[in-house]
Amino acid sequence: MNQMINRRALLRAAGATAVVSNMAAIDALSQPSFASELARGEKSVILLWLAGGASQLETWDPKPGRLTGGPFSKIQTCIPGVEISELLPKMSTRLDETAIIRSLNTKIGDHGQAYELMDRGRVGEPGVRFPHLGAIISHELGQIDSRVPDYVSMYTSTEGRRQGSAGFLGARYNPMFLTEKMMPENIGRHDAISQVDHQDRAALRDFLAKRFVRDLKNPSVHSHENAYERVHGLMACDYLFDIDKEPQSMRDHYGPTQFGQQCLIARRLVEAGVPFVKVARAWWDSHGQNFETHQELCADLDQCMSALLDDLKQRGLLEKTLVITLGEFGRTPQINGSLGRDHFANAWSCTLSGCGIRGGVVHGKTDEDGQSVVEGEMNAGDLFATIFAALGIEHDKEYMVGSRPVPLSDFGSTPCREVLA
Amino acid sequence: MTPDTLKKVSDWRFGDILFCVATDQQNDRIWFGSSDFHVYELNTSEEKPQRVAFEGDGHESYVTGLVRVGKALVSCGYDRRLVWWDIESKRSTRRTVAHDKWIRCVVASPDQSRLITVADDMQCKVWDATSGEMLASFSDHSALTPHHYPSMLYVVAASPDGRWIATGDRIGHVAIWDASSFEKVGELETPIMYTWDPKARRHSTGGIRSLSFSPDSRRLAVGGVGKIGNIDHLDGPARLEVFQWSTGTQALEREDNKKKGLIEQIVWSPDGKWILTAGGDNNGFVTIYDAESGELSHQDGQDGHIHAVAFDHDFSNFYAASHHRVTRWTIS
Repeated sequence: MNQMINRRALLRAAGATAVVSNMAAIDALSQPSFASELARGEKSVILLWLAGGASQLETWDPKPGRLTGGPFSKIQTCIPGVEISELLPKMSTRLDETAIIRSLNTKIGDHGQAYELMDRGRVGEPGVRFPHLGAIISHELGQIDSRVPDYVSMYTSTEGRRQGSAGFLGARYNPMFLTEKMMPENIGRHDAISQVDHQDRAALRDFLAKRFVRDLKNPSVHSHENAYERVHGLMACDYLFDIDKEPQSMRDHYGPTQFGQQCLIARRLVEAGVPFVKVARAWWDSHGQNFETHQELCADLDQCMSALLDDLKQRGLLEKTLVITLGEFGRTPQINGSLGRDHFANAWSCTLSGCGIRGGVVHGKTDEDGQSVVEGEMNAGDLFATIFAALGIEHDKEYMVGSRPVPLSDFGSTPCREVLA
Repeated sequence: MTPDTLKKVSDWRFGDILFCVATDQQNDRIWFGSSDFHVYELNTSEEKPQRVAFEGDGHESYVTGLVRVGKALVSCGYDRRLVWWDIESKRSTRRTVAHDKWIRCVVASPDQSRLITVADDMQCKVWDATSGEMLASFSDHSALTPHHYPSMLYVVAASPDGRWIATGDRIGHVAIWDASSFEKVGELETPIMYTWDPKARRHSTGGIRSLSFSPDSRRLAVGGVGKIGNIDHLDGPARLEVFQWSTGTQALEREDNKKKGLIEQIVWSPDGKWILTAGGDNNGFVTIYDAESGELSHQDGQDGHIHAVAFDHDFSNFYAASHHRVTRWTIS
């Protein structure tokens, strides 16, 4: 085992500079030690992205009885003293692996800018293309010799589907992005090439490449070889996206909705070693009819999130898979003229479950009307630092972009130790 | 003949959201139900009326329906409860858990002997208005939408002759029932009112929000919203369909893009010549249509969605329960 990890670490160190095109150097200040590699060992992240911004008041931070609280009641959870919205009854019995953060104050209430903030953990700056969370995770946790994708993103509804970019980490860490279908396109073998021919071609290329590599000691040759290997790996892993291969009982557990199917695919992907999977469920932007929108979408979230946590737990995957439920912001305590709630980034909620997380914890507090954070305020950088810490990644580790050091989480951010196991 | 005038004459502002309104047949008192979980009385004949909250065991969520039966008011709410209130003492006299999910609407039979409720448990229930005993429970409405999300049963109407009950849901299905035997006697489909967006948003916000039988009980008006462009908002035309319900024949179809949003309430004129609709998006509207031609006769608007209207005894005034306000209009 140690030999395998050491080999991977060596491959990572050797291959890093070769696969990144627009950085002067990666990890120049902090070469990955074998110890940290061991600590990270094959961890994964599933991000349930609640696109458009779910209401904290109808999910994780209910305020029934207040004029801002809406019509729903709160329910007791399996954690004494912790109550959540009645719209999440299944999750109410499964909070022992989940930490609720009720004190996000991220200030930006515009979809585009808020998305960038919550996907990069920092405000953008001219001249620096910061990578998104999935790219960082795939860079930090991905295996250089992996035959499965490092970063899969499913975002199959709403306009302006936000792909996310690897930024200065380079295109190697961009997501496999699924927008129209749940099965990746163009990874199948061309019809004109038989399976035998396909294998023969691969064997010949492999033979020639190995001889070439032996004779020419150049990192870019390794990168070239690696790219071929990854393409073959992707072609061979299309079955991961095929939930027909799951028993009907498992599919029923996740439910028949597209979100449920995508969450099941996410489990299949992390089980196969994909380090970062993003499942975006649109569209929570409930300026009108907020309560009915949340009746509809929370039923989906409750079913799919609870099924995902159950499934990961039963397979022994939850202890090495971090499940994040997050959007770009929350929604206003004020209820507008069409029973809607508008964009609100000053006091909202997210959850972290599984890997590295102390379950049953509620961090932070908002005031009685949900207008502001009164305890434990966290910004996007703090949240990212917490995510990295849960995964055993040093949050203040620095990338070098040219001559500029850029820490993984924003300058000054700190992990929230209260929610870390 | 449609009215000559439609005029807004009074406006009382509050901080909460008002979902339902009932009027007194004798004087200027009105009652309404609120997002602060209370039922209130307002004497509109006073120069600066102050609303008075009813007391006792009331609701624990939004009060969404209110009907007068004799000397009592009966309210329903998202807390699944029906509450009986004595009008004079302004106190509750009975409270019962009536449904398993949100109650959306309560109406009285024309003789006021019965109450009829619908809720998101997709059941229509009939109650003895005096004793509170449940007399029947029935449904023709699926619990899930075709896309596997929770459906909602928004509205119920009783025919003026007391013979029929109609119920309407989120996916545009209407069932008509015999009010004595509780057997289904008809059904209608208004699929445009199910505003499922299969691609951009993958959810819906529409549904049948209002039903009303014509005075002769032969026609049934169905209100909701048409195809919504952006369902982040109620950005779709207010949609009205009228049926000869016994044959399923559509007699009228109207969409209004000028005043958008849901038609939350439909009222027929006593002679059946015109139809008043009210509702809105983030702004409210009141629209009067000729019941035969469908021609728009009058229209007015206001800030804030209108959730319900109720006419006074001589049909010259009506009150609208809205976002942060109660408004009185006159017609002549």
